[in-house]
Amino acid sequence: MKQTLRFDQISCRLQVEGLPDVSTGQSGDGLGIITGWSLQWAGRPELEGKKEHLVALMQAVLPYARLLVSGAGRALTSQGQEVDIAPAAGGGHQLLLRSSQPGTEPLRVVLDDAELSDLVRVLDQLRLDSRLLLKLDLPDDRPLRGREVSHRIPRRQRLAAPAAAVLALALSTAASLLWPTPRPPAPAGQGLTQAGKLNPPR
Amino acid sequence: MVSPSAPPQPPATATDAPLPRRGIERLDLMLLCAEALDLNGAEATLILSEQLGFQDLIPNRVELWKRRCHNPLRRQVRRGTLAAADSDALIRILCTQCERLYPLLRALLSAAEPDDIARQRWELFEDRLAGLVHERMNPRRGGVQRLLEGAEGARQRRQLILAMALAAGNGGFARLKASLMDAGA
Repeated sequence: MKQTLRFDQISCRLQVEGLPDVSTGQSGDGLGIITGWSLQWAGRPELEGKKEHLVALMQAVLPYARLLVSGAGRALTSQGQEVDIAPAAGGGHQLLLRSSQPGTEPLRVVLDDAELSDLVRVLDQLRLDSRLLLKLDLPDDRPLRGREVSHRIPRRQRLAAPAAAVLALALSTAASLLWPTPRPPAPAGQGLTQAGKLNPPR
Repeated sequence: MVSPSAPPQPPATATDAPLPRRGIERLDLMLLCAEALDLNGAEATLILSEQLGFQDLIPNRVELWKRRCHNPLRRQVRRGTLAAADSDALIRILCTQCERLYPLLRALLSAAEPDDIARQRWELFEDRLAGLVHERMNPRRGGVQRLLEGAEGARQRRQLILAMALAAGNGGFARLKASLMDAGA
């Protein structure tokens, strides 16, 4: 009855163990209950955990990969704060895994782009595997809003339009201040002498 | 070689809106990167189109070229928007190509490769990409100049390769499509 799903990439191997959920009519090679999983990384300690830890890993890594595709990678945390992922200071990606066991220090793993791609691929393979009959609570991929991708446009180009608008407003204000106002009309009988009258009578 | 079996297709993202201008630019540039990585990339695209069941949309090289000419960076640009069905087909073809080219993409991204080998790989890829860009893109466009020159160009080229690696396979479709639909286009 016990089923094992295994997904391999060059730098990692994900192995998920579980059982079909017979209470919902599952049978055969389906996997409706995850009893445990392990992630083996070349040259790094093996990770093990329960279903919640696997879902937390997916909740942090897959949306992070989504952001990286847009070139907008930033720190993300799983819903239960078990897993953090963020761009590493010296390049690469830092994964912080907090153990549910008290007194255990969080595990820090720095992955390069290729290792992160491998991890994303094994997680994708798992979530899209037809034998996994379990609903995973993962966010949908959605387009980013304007301010989330504003860094893509160079600052000079981004500020050009507002700067031109401010300049145009300042110039038009200055021009309107310099424009001569019409003189008020002189009262009748003042200001014009006989000689100064227009069209003096002959 | 192209794998004969068509992979199962995950459900598309909810939106069927056409890709914005910048999304079409990035999609076409990633297809160009795939051609730079694979000398038979153009033929592979057509074979994949047939294998994935898009022969009605993209039956031949001319139809493929017409769709890719919606990229405003090209020498010959088509006006109007690219239909959602066409862009979905191109994204699926690209994701399948990325799956096929994944070992090459991974090798370019890996920090474990010796420096000189990694540099040679990048030089080879960048030479081919520059050749294709000069052949097909309008060199007077700022976007084309930025892609080919300086540190910003190198950052953009690496970003394209990373996006292709993360878009490889079945799981990559929704991720890549959402990215191409980003605002701020």
